[in-house]
Amino acid sequence: METVVSQDTVVEIVESIFSTMLEIDVSLSDSAHSPSGERMTSTVYLEGDWNGAVSLECNRSQACQFAGRFLATDPPPAVDDDVKDALGELVNMIGGNIKSVLTKETRLSMPSVIDGHDYELRICGSHSRDVSAFQFFGGTFWVTILDECSSRTN
Amino acid sequence: MDILVVDDSKIMRIILQRAIRQAGYRGLNVCEAENGVQALEKLREGKPKLILSDWNMPEMSGLEFLKQVRETEAKLPFGFVTTECSSEMRALAMSSGATFLLSKPFSPEDIQEALTRILD
Repeated sequence: METVVSQDTVVEIVESIFSTMLEIDVSLSDSAHSPSGERMTSTVYLEGDWNGAVSLECNRSQACQFAGRFLATDPPPAVDDDVKDALGELVNMIGGNIKSVLTKETRLSMPSVIDGHDYELRICGSHSRDVSAFQFFGGTFWVTILDECSSRTN
Repeated sequence: MDILVVDDSKIMRIILQRAIRQAGYRGLNVCEAENGVQALEKLREGKPKLILSDWNMPEMSGLEFLKQVRETEAKLPFGFVTTECSSEMRALAMSSGATFLLSKPFSPEDIQEALTRILD
């Protein structure tokens, strides 16, 4: 099932953010959604005429690389507050840009960040999801759009 | 204080500080605040030449912060740096008294252009 946001739009937004803010070229990949082990997920929620969530999943090493690019330094050796902040800011930008292509009556939440091992993230009430895999020099990460109300908006 | 940067994200405050330096304004005194409440306290200590503020922040939103600034400072340049980049949000920002709205992601050139218009 396709959500209210097209994959083309998501790809355009993600490529632009990573290129402009991190100077990292990313491209859509056909990798299966298979996050496992120690990883991180940042999420923002959108509420209004369209209800849903946007999440970014990557491993800890990738998150450190993103933070290093943001800070224009070497990647932090371990996940710290800056790394969590960077991952939250990335999904905030992705969600904010997705919000801008939706109806005006949509609000964006503050980002949340999970850092853990073999966890499952469940957004209660969501009933469709579009997962896009992106590839860069550090491997594959995933951006997921969770749609809670596709039957109302489609 | 020349520029007041208001953002709840520490990493974004660092990025903006760097972007300001890269834009050629190395000698400016840039102060930071994590939200609108902190920023209003900073403004009691001194008036900057420019405020750069996020929109979505805890404690007080950037829009509410702007409205409170405008109660006493009608002409103080105020720029949003935010993911809230729809035409509706842009219109809301401008009608509330913002000087400009810079959408994330932004390039160093975007920052430079915005600062040049205000500071030069």
